[in-house]
Amino acid sequence: MIFSSELIKGTLKTIVLKLLSDNKKMYGYEITQRVKDLTGDRIQLTEGALYPTLHSLEEEGLVTTELEYMGKRVRKYYKLSASGKTRSKERVSELAEFMETMRVLLDIQPKIA
Amino acid sequence: MYCLSDEQIDYILNDIRRNGVEMEDLQLNLLDHICCIIEQELKEGDDFEHFYQQTVRRFYRNNLREIEEETIDLLTFKNYYAMKKALIVSGASSVTAFIAGSFFKFMYWPGASILLTLGIVSFSLLFLPLLFILKSREVKTVSDKFVIAIGILVGIMFSLAILFIMMHWPGANILLFSAIGGAAFVLLPTYFFTGIRRPETKLNTILMSIILVGVIGLQFTIARLRPSPFDKVATANFVQNEALLKVLVPSQPSEAAAGIYKTCTELKELLLRQAVGATAIPADYDERKLYLHDSKLGDAFFDNGPGVQLLTTLKEQAKQFNSGAQNGVMVIGAGMPALVDDPQRVSHNYGCISLLNSIEQLQIYVAVADAKNTTAAK
Repeated sequence: MIFSSELIKGTLKTIVLKLLSDNKKMYGYEITQRVKDLTGDRIQLTEGALYPTLHSLEEEGLVTTELEYMGKRVRKYYKLSASGKTRSKERVSELAEFMETMRVLLDIQPKIA
Repeated sequence: MYCLSDEQIDYILNDIRRNGVEMEDLQLNLLDHICCIIEQELKEGDDFEHFYQQTVRRFYRNNLREIEEETIDLLTFKNYYAMKKALIVSGASSVTAFIAGSFFKFMYWPGASILLTLGIVSFSLLFLPLLFILKSREVKTVSDKFVIAIGILVGIMFSLAILFIMMHWPGANILLFSAIGGAAFVLLPTYFFTGIRRPETKLNTILMSIILVGVIGLQFTIARLRPSPFDKVATANFVQNEALLKVLVPSQPSEAAAGIYKTCTELKELLLRQAVGATAIPADYDERKLYLHDSKLGDAFFDNGPGVQLLTTLKEQAKQFNSGAQNGVMVIGAGMPALVDDPQRVSHNYGCISLLNSIEQLQIYVAVADAKNTTAAK
Protein backbone atom coordinates (compact mmCIF):
# COMPACT_ATOMS: atom_id res chain seq x y z
CA MET A 1 0.00 0.00 0.00
CA ILE A 2 1.32 3.44 -0.94
CA PHE A 3 0.11 6.17 1.39
CA SER A 4 -1.80 9.17 0.10
CA SER A 5 0.02 12.45 -0.32
CA GLU A 6 -2.32 14.16 2.18
CA LEU A 7 -1.05 11.87 4.91
CA ILE A 8 2.56 12.46 3.97
CA LYS A 9 2.24 16.22 3.62
CA GLY A 10 1.66 16.84 7.32
CA THR A 11 4.57 14.65 8.37
CA LEU A 12 7.11 15.51 5.67
CA LYS A 13 9.01 18.04 7.76
CA THR A 14 9.25 15.58 10.62
CA ILE A 15 10.50 12.84 8.30
CA VAL A 16 13.18 15.08 6.82
CA LEU A 17 14.29 16.43 10.20
CA LYS A 18 14.50 12.92 11.67
CA LEU A 19 16.49 11.59 8.72
CA LEU A 20 18.92 14.48 8.95
CA SER A 21 19.38 13.94 12.68
CA ASP A 22 20.29 10.30 12.02
CA ASN A 23 22.65 11.13 9.15
CA LYS A 24 25.27 13.82 9.19
CA LYS A 25 24.39 15.34 5.84
CA MET A 26 22.14 14.33 2.97
CA TYR A 27 21.13 15.56 -0.45
CA GLY A 28 17.67 15.51 -1.98
CA TYR A 29 17.87 12.34 -4.02
CA GLU A 30 19.48 10.53 -1.09
CA ILE A 31 16.56 11.51 1.16
CA THR A 32 13.96 10.10 -1.24
CA GLN A 33 15.93 6.88 -1.64
CA ARG A 34 16.43 6.47 2.09
CA VAL A 35 12.74 6.92 2.78
CA LYS A 36 11.91 4.42 0.06
CA ASP A 37 14.34 1.87 1.49
CA LEU A 38 13.29 2.33 5.10
CA THR A 39 9.59 1.98 4.32
CA GLY A 40 9.90 -0.81 1.79
CA ASP A 41 8.68 1.47 -1.02
CA ARG A 42 5.51 2.34 0.87
CA ILE A 43 6.37 6.01 1.25
CA GLN A 44 7.70 7.65 -1.88
CA LEU A 45 8.45 11.33 -1.41
CA THR A 46 7.68 13.35 -4.50
CA GLU A 47 10.23 15.88 -5.66
CA GLY A 48 7.44 18.43 -5.88
CA ALA A 49 6.90 18.17 -2.13
CA LEU A 50 10.44 17.52 -0.94
CA TYR A 51 12.26 20.53 -2.39
CA PRO A 52 9.80 23.20 -1.28
CA THR A 53 9.99 21.68 2.20
CA LEU A 54 13.80 21.68 2.19
CA HIS A 55 13.83 25.32 1.10
CA SER A 56 11.41 26.32 3.79
CA LEU A 57 13.42 24.44 6.45
CA GLU A 58 16.48 26.33 5.26
CA GLU A 59 14.63 29.63 5.45
CA GLU A 60 13.53 28.83 8.99
CA GLY A 61 17.16 28.20 9.91
CA LEU A 62 16.52 24.59 10.92
CA VAL A 63 18.93 23.21 8.33
CA THR A 64 22.17 24.53 6.92
CA THR A 65 23.50 23.72 3.49
CA GLU A 66 26.79 22.88 1.94
CA LEU A 67 27.57 22.82 -1.77
CA GLU A 68 29.66 20.18 -3.46
CA TYR A 69 30.79 20.90 -7.00
CA MET A 70 30.85 17.86 -9.25
CA GLY A 71 31.89 18.95 -12.73
CA LYS A 72 28.91 20.70 -14.25
CA ARG A 73 26.64 19.78 -11.39
CA VAL A 74 26.34 21.17 -7.92
CA ARG A 75 25.09 18.96 -5.14
CA LYS A 76 23.45 20.64 -2.21
CA TYR A 77 23.84 18.83 1.09
CA TYR A 78 21.50 19.53 3.97
CA LYS A 79 22.34 19.13 7.61
CA LEU A 80 20.64 20.06 10.87
CA SER A 81 21.48 23.29 12.63
CA ALA A 82 21.47 23.48 16.44
CA SER A 83 17.86 24.66 16.46
CA GLY A 84 17.04 21.99 13.88
CA LYS A 85 18.23 19.29 16.27
CA THR A 86 15.94 20.51 19.02
CA ARG A 87 13.06 20.88 16.60
CA SER A 88 13.64 17.37 15.23
CA LYS A 89 13.18 15.87 18.70
CA GLU A 90 10.11 18.01 19.33
CA ARG A 91 8.47 17.07 16.05
CA VAL A 92 9.14 13.36 16.49
CA SER A 93 7.70 13.25 20.00
CA GLU A 94 4.77 15.40 18.89
CA LEU A 95 4.03 12.97 16.07
CA ALA A 96 4.34 10.00 18.42
CA GLU A 97 1.77 11.55 20.73
CA PHE A 98 -0.43 12.38 17.78
CA MET A 99 -0.30 8.77 16.60
CA GLU A 100 -1.22 7.56 20.07
CA THR A 101 -4.14 9.99 20.16
CA MET A 102 -5.28 8.90 16.72
CA ARG A 103 -5.10 5.29 17.83
CA VAL A 104 -7.51 6.04 20.65
CA LEU A 105 -9.68 8.34 18.54
CA LEU A 106 -10.03 5.92 15.67
CA ASP A 107 -10.23 2.96 18.02
CA ILE A 108 -7.45 1.03 16.32
CA GLN A 109 -6.69 -2.26 18.04
CA PRO A 110 -2.98 -2.84 18.30
CA LYS A 111 -1.98 -5.92 16.35
CA ILE A 112 -0.82 -8.64 18.62
CA ALA A 113 2.16 -10.29 17.14
CA MET B 1 25.81 3.12 -13.73
CA TYR B 2 25.00 5.42 -16.63
CA CYS B 3 27.52 8.18 -17.21
CA LEU B 4 26.06 11.58 -18.14
CA SER B 5 27.96 13.76 -20.58
CA ASP B 6 28.33 17.52 -20.08
CA GLU B 7 26.01 18.14 -23.05
CA GLN B 8 23.33 16.02 -21.44
CA ILE B 9 23.67 17.91 -18.16
CA ASP B 10 23.35 21.21 -20.04
CA TYR B 11 20.33 19.84 -21.84
CA ILE B 12 18.63 19.00 -18.54
CA LEU B 13 19.48 22.35 -16.94
CA ASN B 14 18.18 24.23 -19.98
CA ASP B 15 15.00 22.21 -19.95
CA ILE B 16 14.45 22.99 -16.26
CA ARG B 17 14.95 26.68 -16.94
CA ARG B 18 12.72 26.61 -19.98
CA ASN B 19 9.96 25.12 -17.89
CA GLY B 20 9.85 28.20 -15.75
CA VAL B 21 11.95 27.31 -12.72
CA GLU B 22 13.75 30.55 -11.96
CA MET B 23 15.20 30.08 -8.49
CA GLU B 24 18.82 29.08 -8.99
CA ASP B 25 18.87 27.01 -5.84
CA LEU B 26 15.94 24.99 -7.02
CA GLN B 27 17.42 24.55 -10.51
CA LEU B 28 20.56 23.04 -9.02
CA ASN B 29 18.61 20.79 -6.69
CA LEU B 30 16.43 19.48 -9.49
CA LEU B 31 19.38 19.04 -11.85
CA ASP B 32 21.30 16.96 -9.35
CA HIS B 33 18.21 14.97 -8.50
CA ILE B 34 17.40 14.14 -12.10
CA CYS B 35 21.03 13.27 -12.80
CA CYS B 36 21.01 10.86 -9.85
CA ILE B 37 17.88 9.13 -11.09
CA ILE B 38 19.26 8.80 -14.61
CA GLU B 39 22.59 7.49 -13.35
CA GLN B 40 20.84 4.90 -11.22
CA GLU B 41 18.12 3.79 -13.57
CA LEU B 42 19.17 4.38 -17.17
CA LYS B 43 21.03 1.56 -18.86
CA GLU B 44 23.90 2.04 -21.25
CA GLY B 45 22.52 2.35 -24.77
CA ASP B 46 18.98 3.44 -23.72
CA ASP B 47 17.41 6.59 -25.22
CA PHE B 48 18.48 9.44 -22.90
CA GLU B 49 15.97 12.08 -23.99
CA HIS B 50 13.01 9.76 -23.83
CA PHE B 51 14.00 8.54 -20.38
CA TYR B 52 14.60 12.09 -19.18
CA GLN B 53 11.17 13.28 -20.30
CA GLN B 54 9.53 10.36 -18.55
CA THR B 55 11.49 10.98 -15.37
CA VAL B 56 10.77 14.67 -15.16
CA ARG B 57 7.09 13.95 -15.81
CA ARG B 58 6.92 12.23 -12.40
CA PHE B 59 7.87 15.48 -10.67
CA TYR B 60 4.68 17.44 -11.22
CA ARG B 61 0.98 17.38 -11.99
CA ASN B 62 0.67 20.06 -14.69
CA ASN B 63 4.05 21.71 -15.12
CA LEU B 64 7.43 21.87 -13.50
CA ARG B 65 6.89 25.42 -12.30
CA GLU B 66 4.55 24.06 -9.62
CA ILE B 67 7.58 23.14 -7.54
CA GLU B 68 8.82 26.68 -7.57
CA GLU B 69 5.36 28.07 -6.83
CA GLU B 70 4.98 25.68 -3.91
CA THR B 71 8.40 26.76 -2.62
CA ILE B 72 7.54 30.43 -2.82
CA ASP B 73 4.20 29.76 -1.16
CA LEU B 74 5.86 27.95 1.72
CA LEU B 75 8.44 30.68 2.13
CA THR B 76 5.88 33.48 2.18
CA PHE B 77 3.43 31.59 4.29
CA LYS B 78 6.02 31.45 7.02
CA ASN B 79 5.92 35.24 7.13
CA TYR B 80 2.16 35.30 7.09
CA TYR B 81 1.69 35.34 10.85
CA ALA B 82 4.45 37.87 11.37
CA MET B 83 2.81 40.08 8.75
CA LYS B 84 -0.58 39.72 10.35
CA LYS B 85 0.90 40.79 13.65
CA ALA B 86 2.66 43.74 12.01
CA LEU B 87 -0.63 44.68 10.36
CA ILE B 88 -2.52 44.78 13.64
CA VAL B 89 0.27 46.57 15.54
CA SER B 90 0.83 49.19 12.83
CA GLY B 91 -2.90 49.74 12.39
CA ALA B 92 -3.62 50.10 16.09
CA SER B 93 -0.65 52.39 16.75
CA SER B 94 -1.40 54.58 13.71
CA VAL B 95 -4.97 55.07 14.80
CA THR B 96 -3.94 55.75 18.39
CA ALA B 97 -1.36 58.33 17.28
CA PHE B 98 -3.89 59.87 14.95
CA ILE B 99 -6.66 60.18 17.53
CA ALA B 100 -4.26 61.42 20.22
CA GLY B 101 -2.86 63.94 17.71
CA SER B 102 -6.34 65.24 16.89
CA PHE B 103 -7.10 65.63 20.58
CA PHE B 104 -3.78 67.43 21.17
CA LYS B 105 -4.52 69.75 18.28
CA PHE B 106 -7.96 70.43 19.67
CA MET B 107 -6.46 71.29 23.06
CA TYR B 108 -3.58 73.31 21.53
CA TRP B 109 -1.09 71.05 23.27
CA PRO B 110 2.43 70.70 21.91
CA GLY B 111 3.32 67.70 19.76
CA ALA B 112 0.01 67.53 17.91
CA SER B 113 1.55 67.81 14.46
CA ILE B 114 4.19 65.17 15.14
CA LEU B 115 1.59 62.72 16.40
CA LEU B 116 -0.75 63.36 13.48
CA THR B 117 2.03 63.10 10.90
CA LEU B 118 3.39 59.89 12.41
CA GLY B 119 -0.09 58.42 12.61
CA ILE B 120 -1.07 59.23 9.04
CA VAL B 121 2.29 58.27 7.53
CA SER B 122 2.40 54.89 9.24
CA PHE B 123 -1.27 54.32 8.44
CA SER B 124 -0.87 55.05 4.74
CA LEU B 125 2.63 53.75 4.07
CA LEU B 126 2.77 50.78 6.45
CA PHE B 127 -0.67 49.60 7.44
CA LEU B 128 -2.41 49.98 4.07
CA PRO B 129 0.35 48.36 1.96
CA LEU B 130 0.53 45.44 4.40
CA LEU B 131 -3.23 45.14 4.21
CA PHE B 132 -2.93 44.95 0.43
CA ILE B 133 -0.32 42.19 0.54
CA LEU B 134 -2.40 40.09 2.92
CA LYS B 135 -5.80 40.72 1.35
CA SER B 136 -4.64 40.19 -2.22
CA ARG B 137 -3.38 36.75 -1.22
CA GLU B 138 -6.80 35.79 0.01
CA VAL B 139 -8.58 36.35 -3.32
CA LYS B 140 -8.08 34.28 -6.40
CA THR B 141 -9.20 36.26 -9.44
CA VAL B 142 -7.31 39.07 -11.11
CA SER B 143 -10.30 41.39 -10.97
CA ASP B 144 -10.63 40.94 -7.21
CA LYS B 145 -6.95 41.72 -6.78
CA PHE B 146 -7.40 44.80 -8.94
CA VAL B 147 -10.30 46.06 -6.84
CA ILE B 148 -8.23 45.63 -3.68
CA ALA B 149 -5.25 47.39 -5.26
CA ILE B 150 -7.37 50.37 -6.34
CA GLY B 151 -9.12 50.52 -2.98
CA ILE B 152 -5.82 50.58 -1.10
CA LEU B 153 -4.35 53.14 -3.49
CA VAL B 154 -7.33 55.46 -3.04
CA GLY B 155 -7.03 54.99 0.72
CA ILE B 156 -3.34 55.91 0.69
CA MET B 157 -3.95 58.98 -1.47
CA PHE B 158 -6.86 60.09 0.67
CA SER B 159 -5.03 59.85 3.97
CA LEU B 160 -1.93 61.51 2.54
CA ALA B 161 -4.16 64.28 1.15
CA ILE B 162 -5.50 64.89 4.65
CA LEU B 163 -1.92 65.09 5.95
CA PHE B 164 -0.95 67.52 3.17
CA ILE B 165 -3.96 69.73 3.86
CA MET B 166 -3.21 69.72 7.55
CA MET B 167 0.45 70.58 7.10
CA HIS B 168 -0.26 73.13 4.33
CA TRP B 169 2.05 71.29 1.97
CA PRO B 170 1.74 72.01 -1.75
CA GLY B 171 -0.18 69.52 -3.87
CA ALA B 172 -2.77 68.72 -1.21
CA ASN B 173 -5.74 69.57 -3.43
CA ILE B 174 -4.39 67.55 -6.37
CA LEU B 175 -4.01 64.54 -4.09
CA LEU B 176 -7.47 64.95 -2.63
CA PHE B 177 -9.17 65.27 -6.01
CA SER B 178 -7.20 62.34 -7.44
CA ALA B 179 -8.34 60.25 -4.48
CA ILE B 180 -11.98 61.29 -4.82
CA GLY B 181 -11.83 60.89 -8.61
CA GLY B 182 -10.16 57.50 -8.33
CA ALA B 183 -12.81 56.37 -5.86
CA ALA B 184 -15.69 57.62 -7.99
CA PHE B 185 -14.55 56.64 -11.48
CA VAL B 186 -12.29 53.62 -11.01
CA LEU B 187 -12.88 51.98 -7.63
CA LEU B 188 -16.66 52.23 -7.56
CA PRO B 189 -17.35 50.82 -11.07
CA THR B 190 -14.82 47.97 -10.80
CA TYR B 191 -16.01 47.08 -7.31
CA PHE B 192 -19.65 47.19 -8.33
CA PHE B 193 -19.31 45.14 -11.50
CA THR B 194 -17.09 42.44 -10.02
CA GLY B 195 -19.30 42.01 -6.97
CA ILE B 196 -22.74 42.19 -8.61
CA ARG B 197 -22.07 39.19 -10.86
CA ARG B 198 -21.77 36.76 -8.00
CA PRO B 199 -25.07 35.93 -6.29
CA GLU B 200 -23.45 35.46 -2.87
CA THR B 201 -21.91 38.94 -2.88
CA LYS B 202 -24.69 40.77 -4.73
CA LEU B 203 -26.52 42.32 -1.78
CA ASN B 204 -23.36 43.33 0.04
CA THR B 205 -21.98 44.88 -3.13
CA ILE B 206 -25.08 47.00 -3.65
CA LEU B 207 -25.09 48.18 -0.04
CA MET B 208 -21.37 48.92 0.00
CA SER B 209 -21.63 50.77 -3.30
CA ILE B 210 -24.40 52.99 -1.93
CA ILE B 211 -22.30 53.76 1.13
CA LEU B 212 -19.30 54.47 -1.08
CA VAL B 213 -21.33 56.83 -3.28
CA GLY B 214 -22.57 58.57 -0.15
CA VAL B 215 -19.10 59.01 1.28
CA ILE B 216 -17.65 60.24 -2.01
CA GLY B 217 -20.59 62.64 -2.35
CA LEU B 218 -20.05 64.01 1.14
CA GLN B 219 -16.35 64.41 0.47
CA PHE B 220 -17.13 66.23 -2.72
CA THR B 221 -19.48 68.57 -0.86
CA ILE B 222 -16.89 69.71 1.62
CA ALA B 223 -14.04 69.87 -0.88
CA ARG B 224 -13.25 73.44 -1.83
CA LEU B 225 -13.80 73.35 -5.55
CA ARG B 226 -13.64 77.09 -5.97
CA PRO B 227 -12.14 79.57 -3.54
CA SER B 228 -14.71 81.43 -1.52
CA PRO B 229 -15.56 84.92 -2.87
CA PHE B 230 -14.69 86.36 0.55
CA ASP B 231 -11.14 85.06 0.15
CA LYS B 232 -10.81 86.80 -3.17
CA VAL B 233 -11.85 90.15 -1.68
CA ALA B 234 -9.68 89.64 1.39
CA THR B 235 -6.68 88.94 -0.82
CA ALA B 236 -7.37 91.99 -2.98
CA ASN B 237 -7.64 94.13 0.18
CA PHE B 238 -4.34 92.84 1.43
CA VAL B 239 -2.63 93.54 -1.89
CA GLN B 240 -4.09 97.10 -1.91
CA ASN B 241 -2.90 97.74 1.63
CA GLU B 242 0.57 96.51 0.75
CA ALA B 243 0.66 99.01 -2.14
CA LEU B 244 -0.60 101.77 0.15
CA LEU B 245 2.04 100.90 2.71
CA LYS B 246 4.80 101.24 0.14
CA VAL B 247 3.71 104.81 -0.47
CA LEU B 248 3.28 105.68 3.21
CA VAL B 249 6.52 104.33 4.62
CA PRO B 250 9.16 107.08 4.41
CA SER B 251 12.57 106.24 3.01
CA GLN B 252 14.17 107.09 6.35
CA PRO B 253 11.85 106.11 9.17
CA SER B 254 12.71 106.67 12.81
CA GLU B 255 14.62 103.88 14.49
CA ALA B 256 11.65 102.72 16.53
CA ALA B 257 9.41 102.60 13.47
CA ALA B 258 12.03 100.73 11.42
CA GLY B 259 12.14 98.01 14.10
CA ILE B 260 8.37 97.62 13.93
CA TYR B 261 8.41 97.42 10.12
CA LYS B 262 11.05 94.71 10.23
CA THR B 263 9.15 92.58 12.73
CA CYS B 264 5.90 93.09 10.83
CA THR B 265 7.55 92.08 7.55
CA GLU B 266 8.91 88.92 9.12
CA LEU B 267 5.52 88.09 10.57
CA LYS B 268 3.82 88.62 7.23
CA GLU B 269 6.36 86.47 5.45
CA LEU B 270 5.77 83.70 7.96
CA LEU B 271 2.01 83.88 7.46
CA LEU B 272 2.19 84.17 3.67
CA ARG B 273 4.57 81.26 3.31
CA GLN B 274 2.04 79.12 5.09
CA ALA B 275 -0.92 80.51 3.16
CA VAL B 276 0.35 80.79 -0.42
CA GLY B 277 3.80 79.22 -0.27
CA ALA B 278 5.67 82.48 -0.98
CA THR B 279 6.79 85.47 1.07
CA ALA B 280 4.58 87.84 -0.88
CA ILE B 281 1.34 87.59 -2.82
CA PRO B 282 2.45 87.16 -6.45
CA ALA B 283 1.25 89.73 -8.98
CA ASP B 284 -0.68 87.11 -10.96
CA TYR B 285 -2.43 85.71 -7.88
CA ASP B 286 -5.84 86.21 -9.46
CA GLU B 287 -5.05 84.16 -12.57
CA ARG B 288 -3.46 81.47 -10.46
CA LYS B 289 -6.41 81.50 -8.03
CA LEU B 290 -3.93 81.88 -5.24
CA TYR B 291 -6.07 83.38 -2.51
CA LEU B 292 -5.62 83.81 1.20
CA HIS B 293 -8.16 82.19 3.39
CA ASP B 294 -8.79 82.53 7.06
CA SER B 295 -7.33 79.16 7.97
CA LYS B 296 -5.90 78.33 11.35
CA LEU B 297 -2.43 79.60 12.11
CA GLY B 298 0.48 77.28 11.41
CA ASP B 299 2.90 75.67 13.82
CA ALA B 300 5.03 78.82 14.01
CA PHE B 301 2.29 80.36 16.14
CA PHE B 302 2.23 77.63 18.76
CA ASP B 303 4.49 76.72 21.68
CA ASN B 304 6.76 79.74 21.62
CA GLY B 305 7.45 79.20 17.91
CA PRO B 306 9.01 81.97 15.77
CA GLY B 307 5.59 83.59 15.20
CA VAL B 308 4.90 83.82 18.93
CA GLN B 309 8.33 85.29 19.54
CA LEU B 310 7.89 87.91 16.82
CA LEU B 311 4.53 88.96 18.29
CA THR B 312 6.16 89.36 21.69
CA THR B 313 8.94 91.45 20.15
CA LEU B 314 6.34 93.57 18.39
CA LYS B 315 4.70 94.50 21.70
CA GLU B 316 8.07 95.56 23.10
CA GLN B 317 8.80 97.62 20.02
CA ALA B 318 5.41 99.36 20.25
CA LYS B 319 6.22 100.38 23.83
CA GLN B 320 9.57 101.78 22.70
CA PHE B 321 7.89 103.66 19.89
CA ASN B 322 5.42 105.25 22.31
CA SER B 323 8.11 106.30 24.78
CA GLY B 324 10.08 107.84 21.92
CA ALA B 325 7.10 109.79 20.61
CA GLN B 326 7.72 113.18 22.17
CA ASN B 327 4.70 114.99 23.55
CA GLY B 328 2.72 111.92 22.65
CA VAL B 329 1.49 113.23 19.37
CA MET B 330 0.41 109.89 18.05
CA VAL B 331 0.98 106.79 20.13
CA ILE B 332 0.15 103.18 19.38
CA GLY B 333 -2.91 102.27 21.41
CA ALA B 334 -2.65 99.09 23.48
CA GLY B 335 -5.88 97.93 21.88
CA MET B 336 -4.41 97.57 18.38
CA PRO B 337 -5.31 94.05 17.28
CA ALA B 338 -1.74 93.31 16.15
CA LEU B 339 -0.55 93.73 19.75
CA VAL B 340 -1.90 90.38 20.84
CA ASP B 341 -2.67 90.17 24.57
CA ASP B 342 -1.08 86.79 25.01
CA PRO B 343 1.07 85.81 22.03
CA GLN B 344 1.19 82.20 23.32
CA ARG B 345 -2.53 81.94 22.71
CA VAL B 346 -2.70 83.88 19.45
CA SER B 347 -4.03 80.84 17.58
CA HIS B 348 -7.15 80.87 19.77
CA ASN B 349 -8.36 84.22 18.50
CA TYR B 350 -6.77 84.82 15.10
CA GLY B 351 -6.88 83.17 11.73
CA CYS B 352 -4.46 83.75 8.91
CA ILE B 353 -6.29 86.68 7.30
CA SER B 354 -7.25 88.40 10.54
CA LEU B 355 -3.68 88.35 11.81
CA LEU B 356 -2.29 89.53 8.46
CA ASN B 357 -4.77 92.41 8.37
CA SER B 358 -4.01 93.40 11.96
CA ILE B 359 -0.30 93.54 11.23
CA GLU B 360 -0.88 95.47 8.03
CA GLN B 361 -3.04 97.95 9.87
CA LEU B 362 -0.43 98.46 12.58
CA GLN B 363 2.22 99.14 9.94
CA ILE B 364 0.04 101.74 8.21
CA TYR B 365 -0.76 103.33 11.54
CA VAL B 366 2.91 103.46 12.50
CA ALA B 367 3.82 104.95 9.11
CA VAL B 368 1.33 107.79 9.58
CA ALA B 369 2.18 108.29 13.27
CA ASP B 370 5.90 108.27 12.59
CA ALA B 371 5.58 110.93 9.89
CA LYS B 372 3.39 113.10 12.13
CA ASN B 373 5.67 112.77 15.13
CA THR B 374 8.74 113.61 13.10
CA THR B 375 7.09 116.76 11.72
CA ALA B 376 5.93 117.76 15.21
CA ALA B 377 9.42 117.29 16.61
CA LYS B 378 10.78 119.70 14.07
